[in-house]
Amino acid sequence: MNLPVGERLFGSFFDEVDGVVAVPARVSLAEIQREVAPRGWRFPLVLDREAPLADQVSASAFAPASSRFGPYCDNLTGMNWELPDGRRVRMGERVVKSTTGFDLHRFLLGTGDRYGRPTDFVLRLRPLGDAGTVWSLRGKSASLEEVARKLLHSSYLPWLESLDWIGDRQSVEPWLRLAVHCPKEELEMFGAWVQDMARPEGIHVEATPGDGSVSDGLPDAVLKTSPNYVLSLARRLTHGTGFRWVGLCACAAIHLYLPPELRDPTQIQALLEPLQEMLWEQGGDWSSRHVSSTVVLAEEASWLAVLRKEWGLAA
Amino acid sequence: MGFSCGAVAQSLRRSSPRARILEAPAQLAGYDADGLGYKTFRPDLVIIPADAEEMAAVVRQLHQARVPITLRGAGTSLAGGPVAAQGGAIVHTSRLRAIRRIDTAGLWCEVECGVTLQQLEEALAPTGLFYPPDPSSGLVCTLGGNVASNAGGAHCFRYGVTSNYVLGLEVIMLDGKVRRFGGPAGGRGPWQEDWKRLMIGSEGTLGAFTRFWLRLMPQPEKVWTFRAMFPDLSSTERAIHALVRHPSFPVAIEMMDPHAVAMVEDSPLAVGLPRDHFLLLVEIDGPARLVDQRAPAVAALLRGAGSTEVLSSADSQERARLFKARKAQGGLLGQISPDFLVQDAVIPKQALAEMLRFLYSEAETAGIPTVTVMHAGDGNLHPNFLFDSRRPGDVEKVEGISKRLMEKIVAAGGALSGEHGIGNDKAAYMPWVFGPQTLRLQKSVSRIFDPRNQLNPLKIFADRRFAA
Repeated sequence: MNLPVGERLFGSFFDEVDGVVAVPARVSLAEIQREVAPRGWRFPLVLDREAPLADQVSASAFAPASSRFGPYCDNLTGMNWELPDGRRVRMGERVVKSTTGFDLHRFLLGTGDRYGRPTDFVLRLRPLGDAGTVWSLRGKSASLEEVARKLLHSSYLPWLESLDWIGDRQSVEPWLRLAVHCPKEELEMFGAWVQDMARPEGIHVEATPGDGSVSDGLPDAVLKTSPNYVLSLARRLTHGTGFRWVGLCACAAIHLYLPPELRDPTQIQALLEPLQEMLWEQGGDWSSRHVSSTVVLAEEASWLAVLRKEWGLAA
Repeated sequence: MGFSCGAVAQSLRRSSPRARILEAPAQLAGYDADGLGYKTFRPDLVIIPADAEEMAAVVRQLHQARVPITLRGAGTSLAGGPVAAQGGAIVHTSRLRAIRRIDTAGLWCEVECGVTLQQLEEALAPTGLFYPPDPSSGLVCTLGGNVASNAGGAHCFRYGVTSNYVLGLEVIMLDGKVRRFGGPAGGRGPWQEDWKRLMIGSEGTLGAFTRFWLRLMPQPEKVWTFRAMFPDLSSTERAIHALVRHPSFPVAIEMMDPHAVAMVEDSPLAVGLPRDHFLLLVEIDGPARLVDQRAPAVAALLRGAGSTEVLSSADSQERARLFKARKAQGGLLGQISPDFLVQDAVIPKQALAEMLRFLYSEAETAGIPTVTVMHAGDGNLHPNFLFDSRRPGDVEKVEGISKRLMEKIVAAGGALSGEHGIGNDKAAYMPWVFGPQTLRLQKSVSRIFDPRNQLNPLKIFADRRFAA
C-alpha cells in the first residue's frame, strides 16, 4: 500500500455517516448550517451566527451549547493550520476519537495568533432535531441561583443547550436562560419539567419556541472559573460594573460584553487584572480577543523559546 | 547504559528512605511487560515512592544520574507504554492513592495519580456524581495511566474521553520541580499557554503526574440497555448509522463480531446467543421521564435495521445480564490463548466492512484466530489477535497483520489509536500519520521538557531514544 507523501492536509469532505465535515475556517456558522441541515445535521456551538468560525473559536473556548457538548476544542476534531511563515500542517483527525501523538490540536486552538492560524476545521456535527425552546426564568436572584445549582446536579444537565446566568444594566435583576433542542414529541415533557422546577421558587417562566439555539455574539473577554464560583462571580461583576455578563454555568465560563466605545485593551486589562490572582488560584484564567499581550513567566518563556526554535519560528 | 544501577539504588535508599526500591530479578520480573504481554523489557530497578514529595526527589536524582525513567501505574496499558524499553528505572505510583477532595458543589474532585477508577467510582457513589471515562480495566487501572494514555471506554461516545474531564494536573518536571497546570477551574492558571493539553495523552514522556483535578457529572437517573442480534454486517451497520444520528444520543454503542460472540458461547460463560450473529449493545441514560419515552424508539430502530432479537431493560441486574457477553469477552482472551494482542484504532465508520473483510482474510491466511469488538459509535475498532508467542512465526504473523491493518486504516483517514495510546507497539507507524512538517512539530513537543528523551524513551516515536 502506498500512503500519500507530503503533508496530509484535510481536503473538503462531508461524511454523513460519522457526522463530520471539513470547512474553511473563515466560513460563518450560518453558511455551515445551510450546508449540513438539509442532510439532518447541525453544528450547535454558536456565539455569533454570521461571524467566521475562526473568530468564534479564538474569542472563547465555549458557546452556550457547550453546556451539552463541551468546548469548541472537543467539537473540532481536526484542522489545517498555517504557521506564520506560510507552512501548512494538519492537526487532529477526521475521526471523532484519537490518542495519536501529542495533542497539538487542542493546544494550538487556545493560542490565538501566536503560532499561526487555522485555515480549515473538521467539525463534529450533531443530529438535527425538529423543535426547541428557549426559556427565560425571572425572579429573585437568590431563587434563580438556587435553581441553577439544582440544574447543575440534575440528570437533565446533559440535555440543556443553554444554562446561562445573564446580567446587564438593562435588567433590574439577572435572569436565567435555559434551552433544549429535541424531537417535537419531547418538548412538552421538557416544558413541564421547567415549570415544575420554577414554580416552588416563585420564578416566572417565559417560553420562546423555535429551534432552541441561542447566541450572544462574540464576547469581549472570557473568565474561566469553577462551578463553585461562576454564579457569585457573575453576580458580583454585574453589580460592580453594570456591563453585560453571561455566565455559562455548566462550563463555569463568564463572557463579558462591552459597549463598542469601551473595547479598549487598556481598559479591559484594568477591569480584569484585579481578578487574576483569584482566578489563577483555582486554575482559571481570563482572556480577551482585544488584548494580545500577556506576561509570560520566565520558565514558560524558556519552554516557548524551545518550541519556537524547534518549529522554525522567529523568536 | 552509562549508569551503575547498584550505585543509584544505594543513593536512593539514603535520600528517599520511605521509598521501596526493588532490584532482585524476581521482583523486577513483575514489571517486564504491560497488557501487551509478549513484549518484555526488564527494568534495572523499580522505585515505589511513598508520596509526591519523595517522588519528586526520586525523579530529580534519576535525572541527575542519567537513568531512563518510566512511570507506571497498574501496568494495564495495552500498547507497551509503561515498560522500560531502554532499561533504567520504573517509578511505580501505587502508593499515591489518596482521594484528596470531592467537591460536590463544584462538580470536581482532586485525586492522586495512583487512585484506581474503581476506588474513585466507589467514593463518588454516595454523592450522586460520577466520573464518566470507563476503560475496561477500570477495576484496577489508575487515573495516572488513564490521563497518560487519554483512556476512553464503552461510554465515551456521548460522554467523551479522559481529556474531556481533566481540569488540571500537577506534574513533576524532569528536574524535580513540581508544576501545576490548570486546577478546579480547568483553565490555564498563570501560564500563557494551556500546557495541560499537551500533558494529557503524553504517555509519560513530558513529566511525572502526581495528582489531578477531574470534572464530575451528575449520575443519570435511569439507564436503559438494549441487546440486539444481527444476522449480517449490513444490518448491523444500518443500526449503527441510525443510532449515531438518533436524538436519543446513546451513551454506548458496542459491537461484537460473530467470532467474538462464538468465543463467549464456546466458553463456560455462554449466554445463549446465536454464534453466527453480530451483537450490538446500546445504552441510553438520562432523566427517567426522558429515557422511558425514548426507549421504545430505540428498540424499534434496532428491529427496523434488521435485528432478529432485541432485548432491553432498565433493571440493573437484568442490564448486567444483557452486558454479560461483552464483559466476558475481555476476560476470556487470556484464558483461552497463551498470548493476545488487543489492537486499537479509529476508522471512519463507512470503512467498517472493508476493514473487517481485510482483517478476516489476513487472519485466515495466517491462521491467527481473531475476534473483533468495537466502540461502534465513534468507530473505535479493537481486533484481538489470539496466538502463542512460543510458537515460531506467530509473533511475526500478528505483527504483520497489525502493521498492514494500521496502514489501511491510516489510508482510510483513521487514527492509529483511539484510547490505548501509541506506546512502543505503534511508534514505528507514526510517520504514516503525519507529513514531514507536522511530524517535526510533534517530535519537538517532548524536547521542550525533556531534550534527551530521558522520560519513557522509545515511546510514541520510535526514534525517541535516550542519549545519556
